[in-house]
Amino acid sequence: MANFAESLMSACRAKGKPGVAGIWLDEHQLVKAAAKVKEAGFKKFDAISPFPIHGIDEACGIPRSYIPWITFIFGLTGCLFGVWFTWWTSAENWALNIGGKPMWSLAAFIPVIFECTILFAALSSVGAMILINGLPKVDPPVIDPDLTCSKFALFVPEDDHGYDADRVTKLFRDLGAVEVKRTEF
Amino acid sequence: MAEKSVKQLAPVHFTQSNRLKTIYSIFMFLGLAAFVVTLITDKERAWHSYLISFFYFVSLALGGLFFTAVQHVTKAGWSVNIRRLVEAFASFLPYAFVGAIVLLLGSTHLYEWTHADVVANDPLLKHKAPYLNLTFFVIRLVGFFGLWVWFSKILVGSSVKQDTTGDESLTHKLLPWSVGFLPVFALSYTFFSFDSLMSLEPHWFSTIYGVYAFAGLFQSTMAATILLILYLSKKGLLRGFVDENHLHDLGKFLFGFTVFWAYIAFSQYMLIWYANLPEETVYYLPRLEHGWLAVSISLVVFKFIVPFLALLPRWAKRTPTHLAAVSILILIMQYVDLYWLVYPSLSHEEVKFSFSEIFIFLGFAGLFLFAVARFLSKNSVVAIKDPRIQESLHHHVVY
Repeated sequence: MANFAESLMSACRAKGKPGVAGIWLDEHQLVKAAAKVKEAGFKKFDAISPFPIHGIDEACGIPRSYIPWITFIFGLTGCLFGVWFTWWTSAENWALNIGGKPMWSLAAFIPVIFECTILFAALSSVGAMILINGLPKVDPPVIDPDLTCSKFALFVPEDDHGYDADRVTKLFRDLGAVEVKRTEF
Repeated sequence: MAEKSVKQLAPVHFTQSNRLKTIYSIFMFLGLAAFVVTLITDKERAWHSYLISFFYFVSLALGGLFFTAVQHVTKAGWSVNIRRLVEAFASFLPYAFVGAIVLLLGSTHLYEWTHADVVANDPLLKHKAPYLNLTFFVIRLVGFFGLWVWFSKILVGSSVKQDTTGDESLTHKLLPWSVGFLPVFALSYTFFSFDSLMSLEPHWFSTIYGVYAFAGLFQSTMAATILLILYLSKKGLLRGFVDENHLHDLGKFLFGFTVFWAYIAFSQYMLIWYANLPEETVYYLPRLEHGWLAVSISLVVFKFIVPFLALLPRWAKRTPTHLAAVSILILIMQYVDLYWLVYPSLSHEEVKFSFSEIFIFLGFAGLFLFAVARFLSKNSVVAIKDPRIQESLHHHVVY
């Protein structure tokens, strides 16, 4: 059992990517710096902040999530499944006469169909969010422990377009980073 | 921008264009003429038509007051820049009070329980007589409108006063008044809908009726607010105050209450369908035959399914033209909804609809536009000295 838990943990252990991180002490500077880094042509970089910042998505050039589409498609699937399932259980496989109503009565089954829609849509959204974010992540690399309380960072991974460690270091310094380091994230 | 002080904001003035004045004057004239003509040819029809349009615009006015109260109760910051516009809707309430007095003149043509001989021969109506009698009806109607006008004077009056004094304590004082208004509104509007609409068919009853009416009220109020914002934006009056982020949140409300309306409408229908009791199904049966079936289906399709899908994507709530189209559809369907509640009591067999209904509606629309335009030209279009205005100036919707 202990072995299983350990192998599960190691499977979930986040594999950090090497790259360059810059640290700022002010969130407005971070948004400005992110916009400049985007202008410099980087696409895969990430911003790390202890709280949500308005405008950081636009500054980093992060496109809108496609999760709404997953929600919509699974919601539609759930709806159709509900229609088929209520028909199959109540009218086809085990038909029961309830109060003399038609075997397949839409009015009675709309609550079930509605709940199936919500169930499929909600579970698929959460599942997709977990998958896309690569969760669960165990023991991820830490750039700076203060990033969860008072500091802000930008991180450019080495596989980003036009990556050059010295160039990124200089860029971060020019943008006012108080600290720049080669690290993993 | 972030450092911009509240003191630097100047009041925004709306001037009524001649075109607007002409439009609402013509509307009011057409409405009055159509009402008088219909009154001569068909009294019952004239009063039924009057009742729909009266209820429609009373709901919009109350919706404005309710929305204002909710913003104060929740201490909402995002909505400060649009609050004056919903407050303008509430300025119709004194006119609606007069409309309610006029409605009393037609009560014998609308409600069978007002006739003593009918009640005497009807055990059920006799049983309901302690509530459903003309004296108590008048007391309730006058009482409800008195309360609404009184609350609107306090809630809207203080907000307008703040424009000149800039007194922050007014905002804090409005909190308990708004908290008090909410239960008053819930009860009075429920019984107002029972009295004016449900008692058209006095043998039938539904305890969810008030909630159903409220769902339509909020849905149509949001649609009307969006249209008013877009009209004033086109005139350039809301530049720097209201942008697509505020529209987005109003669009979310519109979407949410579209679903809420369908939820309540279906809840009422399903329970009656399931129980299958004659005294309850009597309401739906006439609405599922003759021409009324088409009206019932149109409600499901155009008051729920179409707006639901049309408002689902994020861009839909941030695109003014799209949002305007959906709002207009919802405002039309709100009329169809009230028509569906009222007109079957006039005729089970025939779906009567012609210029008489349209013009009487336009008459009320003219009066409503007149009240709103008058209020907005007398006061600043934006509550510029509200202490929470900075939140609204920098409103940003991420999702």
